[in-house]
Amino acid sequence: MAATALAGTAAPALAAARQPMTPEARGTETGAQDARVADPIVVHLRDASSGEIDVFRGTRQIRLRDPELAARLVRASR
Amino acid sequence: MSSHREAPEISKDPVADSTDLYAFVSPDKPDTVTLIANYIPLQQPAGGPNFYEFGDDVLYEIHIDNNGDGRADISYQFTFHTTLTTPGSFLYNTGPIGSLSDPHWNSKQFYQVTVLEGLEARILGRNLACPPCNVGILSTPNYEVNLGHPAVHALPGGVQVFAGQRAEEFYVDLGSIFDLGNLRPLQEANVFGKLAGLMAAPGVNATDRLNVHSIAIQVPISQLTAPGHPTIGVWTTASRQRVQVLGEEEGRGFASGPFSQVSRLGNPLFNEVIVPLGKKDYWNTQQPVNDKQFASFVANPELASLLPVLYPGAFPHLAALDKAGTARADLEAILLTGIPPGLINGFTNFTGPVQADMLRLNTSIPPTPSDSVKFSILGLIGGDAAGFPNGRRVTDDVVTIELRAIAGVVYPLIDHAYVVDTVVADVTDGLTGTSVTNQPLTVFPYMGIPYDGYHNPS
Repeated sequence: MAATALAGTAAPALAAARQPMTPEARGTETGAQDARVADPIVVHLRDASSGEIDVFRGTRQIRLRDPELAARLVRASR
Repeated sequence: MSSHREAPEISKDPVADSTDLYAFVSPDKPDTVTLIANYIPLQQPAGGPNFYEFGDDVLYEIHIDNNGDGRADISYQFTFHTTLTTPGSFLYNTGPIGSLSDPHWNSKQFYQVTVLEGLEARILGRNLACPPCNVGILSTPNYEVNLGHPAVHALPGGVQVFAGQRAEEFYVDLGSIFDLGNLRPLQEANVFGKLAGLMAAPGVNATDRLNVHSIAIQVPISQLTAPGHPTIGVWTTASRQRVQVLGEEEGRGFASGPFSQVSRLGNPLFNEVIVPLGKKDYWNTQQPVNDKQFASFVANPELASLLPVLYPGAFPHLAALDKAGTARADLEAILLTGIPPGLINGFTNFTGPVQADMLRLNTSIPPTPSDSVKFSILGLIGGDAAGFPNGRRVTDDVVTIELRAIAGVVYPLIDHAYVVDTVVADVTDGLTGTSVTNQPLTVFPYMGIPYDGYHNPS
């Protein structure tokens, strides 16, 4: 399935090799959760120039391309 | 621990480090297969104050390929969670632990078993109790009766399952073998041993009186095999989520993202002695279906070229074979495809042409009674087709079997003109099943009673 190149459009969730198939089988959180967010979200800026970003939430990984968001992340991290 | 600490990265992650995999037709229930995947190597029994446990953040799996394509057709998933009965105490147990539900036991661990088959996922069991570690005579008295045996759970469909601490049953002279390939019984012939003035000596079982954590599942054969195909391929994997964030609230962290495989094990000693150091971490991330990329290491194993160097003059025929550069089709058969029909009278565990490191068990071959004259810890090379490489039983001497195989003991099956070096019959690290203090059980989960810390302090 081709990933879209449109800014801010999410690509399909990356197929993972093996996942626990039921919600109960997750081994997601090892400790206290942030009460403000049910599942913590982690963002990995893979390529600042193209805006390729991985978003991790629960047992999912979503890859998107958002140059504007990427630029904001770079500025915020300085 | 035929595969413990076998790669740089997993050696730093014991909780996800697979150590041994066993697959055999259950000797007391021959209509079932028992699969045992061991993790967390080299456990000192006196392991307090925080005793060993499975990782709550690790996905443990046992996979079965029943059509020979090197891909999982059936997968059993095991996930764990830990609860504290008395979080205000620093103690693992606040009194003697008399049962799996004893309130004195502070840090209890439970697990869920899920089976994946095709697109279907079924939960076979939830909140199944692990036994505690065998702490000592005061904390865990009458361990097996009160705690070990009750931790065997019956699941629907005639399935049994166990997950918890057991005695390490794999025997190996680790201290000698990884000291420049020295075998104590032959060390006076070892080029370095000779320089050091070493004389032949009995093997020393480095893993005796150590524990391991076992995930064991016993399943009716009919639930594992495809019609007309009695041979299954088996391997185990451990996976972690791709992202870990440390040091969040209350000093703890969380994991996020898909699970990514960090450890796997099929045949014993594959990643340990076949795959080169520069590829071991990568190998742990791969699926068996992709193992053709590693086939060259099997076809021309480094260890085969080292034996004649380490033991000058002892392996002239092996040395000639090495020099010729001939691919070791015997080892490729044993480790990557199974032995095809016609090579050994009445035996095959061939799964097809796809090269994949899997433990291959022909379920149509009945177990050999342990008190039978036909029983041999040397398995197939000892004339016992119920043993390794036909699956792997708990007592099989896989170290000696694989050393002799690499040294050429089965190469005549490929080349009838090949003469096995005389010394091969003596190649051994000098150990047998009697080298283990706590013997295996005769019933599920077959792994022996774990050593307690009081009687085994170091």
